[in-house]
Parts: sequence; C-alpha cells; structure tokens
Amino acid sequence: MVYLRSEEHLSRWLDDNGWEPGATLGAAKMNELARTWWWNRLDPGWRPRSLDDAQAILTDLGLTGEFWALR
Amino acid sequence: MDALDLDVRRHVYFSVVANGRPPTTADTALAFGDEEAEIADSYRRLHDAHALVLIPGSTEIWMANPFCFAPTPHRVTAGGRTWTGTCAWDALGIPGALHGDGDIATECACCGESLRLAVHDGDLTDGAEVLCHILVPARRWWEDIGFT
Repeated sequence: MVYLRSEEHLSRWLDDNGWEPGATLGAAKMNELARTWWWNRLDPGWRPRSLDDAQAILTDLGLTGEFWALR
Repeated sequence: MDALDLDVRRHVYFSVVANGRPPTTADTALAFGDEEAEIADSYRRLHDAHALVLIPGSTEIWMANPFCFAPTPHRVTAGGRTWTGTCAWDALGIPGALHGDGDIATECACCGESLRLAVHDGDLTDGAEVLCHILVPARRWWEDIGFT
C-alpha cells in the first residue's frame, strides 16, 4: 500500500514492476478509511473485529466489489 | 482471544504509545510477573490472530498496526512523537489511532520524490493530490502482510 504522486507515476510503477493494477484511492479517501479502521485500536476495551464488521466498514465507505471482499 | 492475550495486547499498545517502541517479551513478563515463555506464547497467538506482527522466526514485534518498528518510507509526526507507518493506509491511521492531528513525510513509490500529507481535526488538509495504491485484493492481505 503505497503513495504515488500522480496517475502517470502509478502507471509507470506498475509497468516497471510488471504488476497488475489493484485499487487506487485518493489520499482524502484513504484518510477516511484509515481513520475509521484504526480509530479504536488503542481503546482499553478493544476486542478483535469480526470479518463482517470489517467488511461493513469498507462497504460504508463505498469500497465494494471483488477486490474489497475479505472472504 | 483469551483474557491474557487481550491484556498482553493492551500492554503492548500502551507501551508503544508511552515509550515509542514495543515491549520485549522480557519487558512484558516483568510487568505481568509471568514467565517470559508464557508471554512469548501469547505474542505468538496474537501474531496468529493478526493482532500483532512478529519478525519472522522471533518474538520481536515488527508491527503493532498502524505502528511499525522497522524502517519504511512513511514518517508520521503525531501525538508528540515521530512514528513509522507500516504502509500508506497505516501512516494515515496513526493520527486516527491517536485521535489527533498528524503530518506524514513520505515518498512516491515510483520516483522517490518527497510527498507530504497532513491531517487536522480528522480531515486531510495537505496532500489531496496524492494517490494511494493497494496491489493485493482484500482476502489476500494477510498472506504476506509485509508485501501488502
């Protein structure tokens, strides 16, 4: 999960490494995802998140489809 | 996950926030008054449950996500410290986990050029032009978390 400065650099990076594209998010969307995903990580009462709950976070952010399926 | 493992995990994360580094199994055994071997077993179970990531073949903590304890290109200033983010997702996750603002100094994976992002009051305030790319589909993220 990497940062890239532009679509052009993303394409070059994929080509140089011979990789198929995965999913691309703008940094604002990634911030939204990261903030939601990690928000409770330091809570004293933290419990493991179920796959269904994790999938719901992705779905609520519009991250749906085969690429984002956790199972 | 049993009560000991939840307690050990909580101790690990609190130690990370307090000290900027994860506790060794000896540190945690001392804090709990337990045998180090018992704590090492707990670290391994937490690794298997994806609650921590250990350096392969050891009980040394590599990641207590979103925090990373090996070099990466992602330096995150938040909560009065500079941290290492595991990846693009985790770097932005550090201000989130700390419930505060953050500045991220990182680089383009293609050309190595410096990039900066900032989070203030939960919103991205700098770096909106930056892209984040995830190569590995979600169901395979834990097959090789270091690559993911």
